[in-house]
Amino acid sequence: MKKILSLVLVVLMVLSLSTAFAATPVAATALAYKGELEIMHFSTSEESEGNGGSDGFRTTLAAWEAAHPDITLKQNVLANAEYKTQVATLAAAGDLPDVFLLQGMNTISWSSQSLVMDLTDVIKNSPYYADYNTAYFTPFTADGKIYGFPALTGGTCTVVVYDKAMWAEAGYDTFPSTWAEVEKASEYFNAKNISAISFGNGGQWQMNSCFLSTLGNRYTGPEWFSSMIAKGGAKFTDPEFVAALAETKRLFTETKIFNADFNAVTNEDAREYFIAGDSAAFIGGNWDESYIAATLKASNEEKFNNMGFAVLPQPADATKAPDSQNIGLGYAVAINPKLAADPDKLAAAIDLAYEITGPAFSTYVAENYALGGLTKAGDVDLSDKDAITQAFYNWSYVDTSTCEIYDSYITSAVWSVLNTDLQTMTNGGMTPEQVAQNAQAAYEANY
Amino acid sequence: MLETIRPKKRTLYLYLLLPLIIYVFTVFVPLVTALFYSFFEWKGGPEKAFNGVSNYIQLYNDATFWKAFGNNIYLVVACLVGQIGIAFFLVLLVNSRQARLKSIHRTFGFFPSTISAVCIGMIWAMVYHNKYGILNWFLTTVGRPDLCEVWLNDTQHIMLIVTIPLIWQFIGYYMVIIFSAVASIDSEVFESAEIDGANAFQTAMRITLPLIKNTMLVCVTLCIAGNMKAFDNIYTMTRGGPGTASMVMAMYGYKISFEQSNMGYGSSISVGIFVLSLLVIGGSQWLVKRITRQVEV
Repeated sequence: MKKILSLVLVVLMVLSLSTAFAATPVAATALAYKGELEIMHFSTSEESEGNGGSDGFRTTLAAWEAAHPDITLKQNVLANAEYKTQVATLAAAGDLPDVFLLQGMNTISWSSQSLVMDLTDVIKNSPYYADYNTAYFTPFTADGKIYGFPALTGGTCTVVVYDKAMWAEAGYDTFPSTWAEVEKASEYFNAKNISAISFGNGGQWQMNSCFLSTLGNRYTGPEWFSSMIAKGGAKFTDPEFVAALAETKRLFTETKIFNADFNAVTNEDAREYFIAGDSAAFIGGNWDESYIAATLKASNEEKFNNMGFAVLPQPADATKAPDSQNIGLGYAVAINPKLAADPDKLAAAIDLAYEITGPAFSTYVAENYALGGLTKAGDVDLSDKDAITQAFYNWSYVDTSTCEIYDSYITSAVWSVLNTDLQTMTNGGMTPEQVAQNAQAAYEANY
Repeated sequence: MLETIRPKKRTLYLYLLLPLIIYVFTVFVPLVTALFYSFFEWKGGPEKAFNGVSNYIQLYNDATFWKAFGNNIYLVVACLVGQIGIAFFLVLLVNSRQARLKSIHRTFGFFPSTISAVCIGMIWAMVYHNKYGILNWFLTTVGRPDLCEVWLNDTQHIMLIVTIPLIWQFIGYYMVIIFSAVASIDSEVFESAEIDGANAFQTAMRITLPLIKNTMLVCVTLCIAGNMKAFDNIYTMTRGGPGTASMVMAMYGYKISFEQSNMGYGSSISVGIFVLSLLVIGGSQWLVKRITRQVEV
């Protein structure tokens, strides 16, 4: 009995501690609904260690459940890759859970089939509407209607993380701003059996999300992609985009900048090369940056303090936005339209959506990780953060310009084709023109 | 005599009913529904539009699908030789009078086939790893670093590279089957062959093989069926890549259905896999029967 009692006390203590970190508590709105509410997401406990967005999502979700003791959250938590497969299957079966995360590129197709609820008015009536970063709604908007609350943290998908000490040794005080300089530096690093930059495209999506999406913007500018989204006449076969593909092919096949196995390893492997000192820099997303920072902080303080951040270098023949990086929120909290039949349950789902994307979430991630979400957290006090966290915050939100993440839009049918061909192309098996033609054919057939 | 303990027909059917229901729901129903959905344009979501045989026309003209089919055939041939061939050879070796520690060989031989395919894929991905893999380490150690390469990115040899783990995994499985078949042969047959002066090769080809012909036929069928639906090892190692170099039919169906949310076309790929597998298995059985009949005549 004593054991049980002490166990209960420990659990209570841990719970109270974990909620104590959230500076803004979850609003305990009175809800009429009693019973179960299903939610499906991909913030697993493993992912939440080091990943600020996942940690914030889980913490806020737990706080919301604690604030509404009459409602039991029935959570289906899967790793991201499995989540995508399962949610697609459930959508095909018309059997989506009450609340789930909608990926930007599915918005048009799912909303046209009434799989997601039109939340336009719900969002406008949100108590936090004034603080919303409304630009984040774009991927979840179709025909002027909004279908989700952008969730998790708005982080970059393309950041160059580099080791300042290693690049200083090679003669560069900061990371080079052109590929020509990186190519020159790679000779120095290769002589020491180190890759200048490590990259992992084993999953085939990385070349698109964490490279081409930003490099493409340097050639095409944002108007081209806006036109692609709006079916306004732009094409994958447009010369600017083909030039971006050609440069991608050149960088990966004709230079020795990257690790030789970039097409066989994943981003998880490639970031380990950087951590182990086998590469002087790494290209990946904010999730990789937080992993590298957390790992180095625990294992190699000196290397941690030498971490620097840069945008993708500018190609010689590109003319647009040299300081741009692709940033956004890839997923949004969406609600199953079937909930309309039960107004009390719907009210509970809406309240949940308000809170897990509201100030409770954003202040938590701002204070603990210096990350931003849908709701502005006011002035983020970075003074008690270490220099690296501050530097990454400023790099992400202050010092760089932004562009769109390609695969937050259009449709997976296009990106799956493009991603496969990108891998073949960067192995030397296809020309940029062929890749563009295939992508355009998939675009015309599916979008 | 047995009539007294034989259960009533009704009881017998009741016992059979449960597995039959499970079978119908897990194999027959999905097959029929896949056939049904393959006539629709169904790109995720509940909406479907009947589009006749246009999915099949697309399938007929889909170069990636036929490339994947070719890769499956490559797997089948490589595994017939690699899995069953090596298993047969090893059985003879372990069964020979000189072999010691027979049960240990049997246990360890079978061991890989008890590990999940995903784990096998991960283990071999490590073996092939460019920087930390044992293969490149070995080549460097023996003084041939020029032979080192990024194995899982070698478009030309990728099928061979992903087939080796598959062969390795299932040798033990076929060994166990062939072991039991060989054990059922009367030992007097081998003794008379020895007295007649037959060497090991002659004994294997002229006595053992013909006597376990039916078991070998079962092994061949299992091997073909297993490799026509190959998915997990390759998915873990290359995801069908680089590009589509190691794409197999089941993975292509998965990619189309779930990555591209094209369930209608994905269903027609499933039907295609089913039909092609039946043809390959049927064709191979016909071939084996024809060859063995000729030998007997």
